[in-house]
Amino acid sequence: MRIPESDQESAHSVSLDSAPQAGPSSLGLDGPGPSNGHTNGNGFTLPSTNGFTNGAGVVGNGVQKHGKSVAKVSLLGTALYADGSYVDREEFVRLVIQSLRDVGYIESAATLEAESGYTMEAPEVSQFRQYILEASWSDAEDALTRLGVTDSDGLWVCYHLCIGSVPYVFRYQEAKFFIGQQKYLELLEAGKTTLALQVLRNELAPLNVAQDQLHFLSGLMMCSDPTDLRQRAEWDGASGTSRRELLTVLQRYVPASIMIPQRRFSTLLQQAQSHQRQQCVYHNSPLDSKAFSLYEDHQCDKDVFPGTTTAILDVHVNEVWNIEWSHDGSYLASASKDKTAIIWRIDDPSIRDYTAKFVLRDHSFPVGCLAWSLDDSILLTGADNEIRMWNTKTGVCTLVLDSQHGHQETVAALSWLPDGSGFISGGLDRRIILWDAEGNFKDSWGETAIRVTDLAITPDLTRVVAVGIHYLYDLATKQTELSFPLEGELSSVKISRDSRYALVNRTQNEIYLYDLHSGRLARKFAGQRQGKHVIRSCFGGIDGNFVVSGSEDGNVYVWQCDTGILLETLPGHGEGSVNSVAWNPTNERMFATCSDDHTIRIWEAPLRESGSRVTNRSSSNGKGKTRQQSNGDGVDFDSAFGAWVDG
Amino acid sequence: MGMVYRIYLEGERIYGCANCKTHLATIHSMMSRAFNGQHGRAYLFETVVNIIEGEPIDREMTTGKHTVRDISCCKCRTVLGWKYDRAFEPLQQYKEGKYILERNLLVDVQ
Repeated sequence: MRIPESDQESAHSVSLDSAPQAGPSSLGLDGPGPSNGHTNGNGFTLPSTNGFTNGAGVVGNGVQKHGKSVAKVSLLGTALYADGSYVDREEFVRLVIQSLRDVGYIESAATLEAESGYTMEAPEVSQFRQYILEASWSDAEDALTRLGVTDSDGLWVCYHLCIGSVPYVFRYQEAKFFIGQQKYLELLEAGKTTLALQVLRNELAPLNVAQDQLHFLSGLMMCSDPTDLRQRAEWDGASGTSRRELLTVLQRYVPASIMIPQRRFSTLLQQAQSHQRQQCVYHNSPLDSKAFSLYEDHQCDKDVFPGTTTAILDVHVNEVWNIEWSHDGSYLASASKDKTAIIWRIDDPSIRDYTAKFVLRDHSFPVGCLAWSLDDSILLTGADNEIRMWNTKTGVCTLVLDSQHGHQETVAALSWLPDGSGFISGGLDRRIILWDAEGNFKDSWGETAIRVTDLAITPDLTRVVAVGIHYLYDLATKQTELSFPLEGELSSVKISRDSRYALVNRTQNEIYLYDLHSGRLARKFAGQRQGKHVIRSCFGGIDGNFVVSGSEDGNVYVWQCDTGILLETLPGHGEGSVNSVAWNPTNERMFATCSDDHTIRIWEAPLRESGSRVTNRSSSNGKGKTRQQSNGDGVDFDSAFGAWVDG
Repeated sequence: MGMVYRIYLEGERIYGCANCKTHLATIHSMMSRAFNGQHGRAYLFETVVNIIEGEPIDREMTTGKHTVRDISCCKCRTVLGWKYDRAFEPLQQYKEGKYILERNLLVDVQ
């Protein structure tokens, strides 16, 4: 880089002393002066002024110690860099100026304006902004006119080009309407009804746009008080953010090149972040400065993906069909064909001390479904048509739910309401039943069109998504909202955290991701085997970036949710199906799987330190054991067992 | 191996296990009512679901020697009848691969 010499001959030099204010400097829009020859090859220049050492702390006092004027640097061409892809220098510099102003580096911004010869925006624009924020409505309207018709600074031409085929007069009236509407609402809020009425009649009505909105606005006259008004208008008042929001709306009517959208640079950087995040297939880290530095492209380390078995829980004496984490992530419940459910304790994940805390053994049939209450104090289990409630502190069955009102056939799914007021159960008897938090029958959906094999409630409590044999469909207030007839049997449904997507397993080897907002199939995931068994899948990782599923071939499959790319096929479980998978809700780097091989595996990133603590705990029935394993391939299990388990 | 739900049948008339109402067969798959079992009348079905098949054994029946397997309800394990693996008499071979359910162990379910 080269430091340009001071070029005092430039006609556009400006003294820093004259531009200490937050507003734009008074530089005109006329083009750069004659080139002074101080261009360099890469266009990268550093000012020689020492004014940049003044931190934000001195902003506002306007005192310049040196009083040296800043010379304009003239550069050839319009590109930021002469080589490479084109970035417009003026656009770039104006965004930098905007960013500097936003954070309070006022003097630096002024210096940059002086040195570059570009202003962030014309004085008319900042004036216009000021008028809106100060509620100088008529001034604002005039300023709008100036932005629209003043032809001397080229604004009119830009404006006209931007609006394309829409008559600009119409656009102008629309903009005026929004200003008038704000004025009207503020008058109403202040209780000046007569003045407000005048605005409505004399200013808004003659514009002849948005008749419906005009009717709505006049109806607001009837509001009893300002609070009522704000609520009904969905408007937060003169002292709220409504004027800023109005500016954002008006932004649409002024070309972006004249009035730069707010925080434009930051928006672009966020887009870059979002792009990098999408490119990062193993993405599993939070959006903080550590993971997302502007200095380099973001990339999550594949090695920290939880693809290694770090523990094997081996207490069940038959196939393990389902698993569910407690909400605090420190307990795992498992359901087995051996007619028991087990609550496993994970006291401290760093110690990896997985204990079978309670074996719940009162069921007379295999246990198929589980559900933790929101506070994790109650576990529900379903076995055949029976639902039991267990105290998770004592391991005691506190209630067998009323069989009179309950299911006549197998209970396939249990799910607590997101507000904790109760839970619902779905069964193969085509019924969905609502129970209160104490386990009392409250309501039944009656016969649904499907035999329910799984269901889930969206976290925003607006939908129940039930899947079953023959059909998948949605329920909202018991009305079928959407119904997707699908071939084959659907065995599992999970909802994304944002309530938008439903992940559905079906026989014939397919997992579908449904967009519940649009009612469309968003993605398919393929690779896993599902022919006749109930196989479950789940979202996992930070932001639900992964989709994980069991499989009849004994492997665990992991995809990137956004793209459907198969990331991992994890072997390890023994013969038979991997029936269910569950991602730890509080640890994005841990999940569990369960299998026909009677075991549950805990998957984490490879252990860094060799010889980490290993435990061997007996279950409360005395014959179980918890095995520890450090190698993830599972092929070498026995030797790993011998090497890592102490007595 | 693996978790499966019991199969539920659709149709005008569904026969289920008298003990636990597990669906077993539909009237459409019934081939004959003219059979007798240990508990009286029995029906011959083309297909039966939700059953567990026992080990094959040879049994002398009124119509000759057959290799059969006892079949029981997959939920309550009640023995409901048998399945013909093989009929030694050529005239009886139409029964091979078919199932007998005893009428007294069945109920109509819906």
